[in-house]
Amino acid sequence: MPHQRFPKVEILSIQPHEIQFLLSDTDTSMANALRRIMIAEVPTLAIDLVEFHENTTVLNDEYIAHRLGLIPIKYTPPDSMGGGDCNGAFLPHRECVCYERCPRCCVEFELDVNFDATIRERQVPEHERCLPFTITSADLRSSNDLVQPAHFLSLEEEGASHDQGISIVKIGPGQHLKLKAIARMGISKEHAKWSPVAVATYRFYPIININEEACSTLTQEQKQQLVDVCPDRILEIDAVSGKIVVSEHAWETATFTEDLKITQSAMKKRPEDDDFITVEHSTDRFIFSVEGTGAMDAEEIVMSSLRVLKDRLHYLGNMIEALKESGM
Amino acid sequence: MNAPERSAAFLLDEDNGEEKVTYASDTKVSNAGTFTFNKEDHTLGNLVRMQLLRDPNVRFAGYKIPHPLVHQIDLKIQTISSTLAPIDVLLNAVEDLGDETDTLNREAEDAIERWKKENNAGGMGQF
Repeated sequence: MPHQRFPKVEILSIQPHEIQFLLSDTDTSMANALRRIMIAEVPTLAIDLVEFHENTTVLNDEYIAHRLGLIPIKYTPPDSMGGGDCNGAFLPHRECVCYERCPRCCVEFELDVNFDATIRERQVPEHERCLPFTITSADLRSSNDLVQPAHFLSLEEEGASHDQGISIVKIGPGQHLKLKAIARMGISKEHAKWSPVAVATYRFYPIININEEACSTLTQEQKQQLVDVCPDRILEIDAVSGKIVVSEHAWETATFTEDLKITQSAMKKRPEDDDFITVEHSTDRFIFSVEGTGAMDAEEIVMSSLRVLKDRLHYLGNMIEALKESGM
Repeated sequence: MNAPERSAAFLLDEDNGEEKVTYASDTKVSNAGTFTFNKEDHTLGNLVRMQLLRDPNVRFAGYKIPHPLVHQIDLKIQTISSTLAPIDVLLNAVEDLGDETDTLNREAEDAIERWKKENNAGGMGQF
C-alpha cells in the first residue's frame, strides 16, 4: 500500500539469554513501540496465587508469596529446548471458561520442605545438623512437565553457582514450609513479575562524518589530540596515510559525547567554520539489545513482541473499520 | 483504597459501554476530526501518528494523552481535501503499519535462521 516501509533486521549475536540485532530502514516510533511491547506486553507465566498450608519460617506468608511471584517460569514447547512463547499453550485466566482453575489456564506448583525431614534424608553429619539451608526454586514441583521455574540464566551461571536455584527462604531446625502455588499467564502492565526481559533497549547507530578538506589543515599533533579526546575511541590515525579514519568498531562503542565538539571549537580558526568531524544519531538504524530473565529465550521475546504488535494493529484496524461501517 | 485495578490499563470496560474507538468530527475546522482510543498508550499512539505524518494527504496529525491516569488517546487528523475523510487516512496508516510489521516478522525470522545456521547453534554442528 502507499507509504509502507520495508525494515531490515541483521542479527549481531544470539545467546539463550541475550540477543543483539540491528534494525534499519524504519522509524524511532517503530523501534520504541517494539521496545515498549517487549517490556510491558509480552505474555509470560508467573505465580499469581499461593495457598499456604504450613509456614513456620522466619519470613511471613505475603513476603514468601511476593518472592514466589518474581521467580521466572519457563514454558518449553514440546518440540524445542529453550523457553518459548506461552501464548498459544495457555489461555489468560479471564478468558478461560473454567470455574476457578484448570490445566488450560494455570499451572500448579507444590513446595513441601521440612527442615527435620530433609536433614534426616540427606544424612547430614552430627555437628552440621542445626545449620540452616536454603529453600530454592528447585524445590518447586510442577504439575505440568513443560513448565518449570527458570533456575538459572545460562549454563555458565549454573556451573558457577553454589545454589540449586533461586533462593526463596532459609530454613532452620523445627521449621516447615508447605504451600501450593498457582501460576497464570499475564502481561507486565498488570504486574512487573510478568515481564520477560531484564533489559530491552536500543541505541542509535552513529553517523561519523570526517571533513577531509578541513582535516588536511590540521597538524599531526592536532589529529592525535582529536583521536585521544574521544573516550569511546571511535577514531584512529591510519598508519599509512596519517589521516584520521573511523575505527572499525566505532558503531559498537560510540557514546555521543561532547568532548570532540569542545576540542574542535578550540582548534577552529573561526567559530563559524565547519567541524572537522561530526558524530550524529542515525534516524533510521538502531542497535537493539534484549536481555531476558531466563523465562523465555531472547529471540522468542523478539518474535513474540512482533506478534503482539501485529495482533494489536489488526484488532485496531478491525475496530476502525467497524466504526466506519456503522456510519460514525 | 482508591487505586484502580491494574488491568484497567489495558482491558476495555465493555460492561460500562466503553468502546475501543470513537470519532468526533471537528466543527470549526474542515476535513478534521478527533479519534478517541480507549485503553491505549504511546506504544500505538506514536506509531500511528508518525505513519500518518508520512502520508501527503494529511495536513495535520497529532496525538495526546489527556490525563496520565486515564488510559486514553486523542488522535486528531486533518486531511487536505474533503474527498479523503480522516477515517480513510487512518485505515490506510494502520494497514501500512500492519504490512510493515509483517515484513519485520519475516525479516527477523529469516535473520535468526541464517544466524543460527552460520553459527551452528542448537547442538547441530558437532558432526
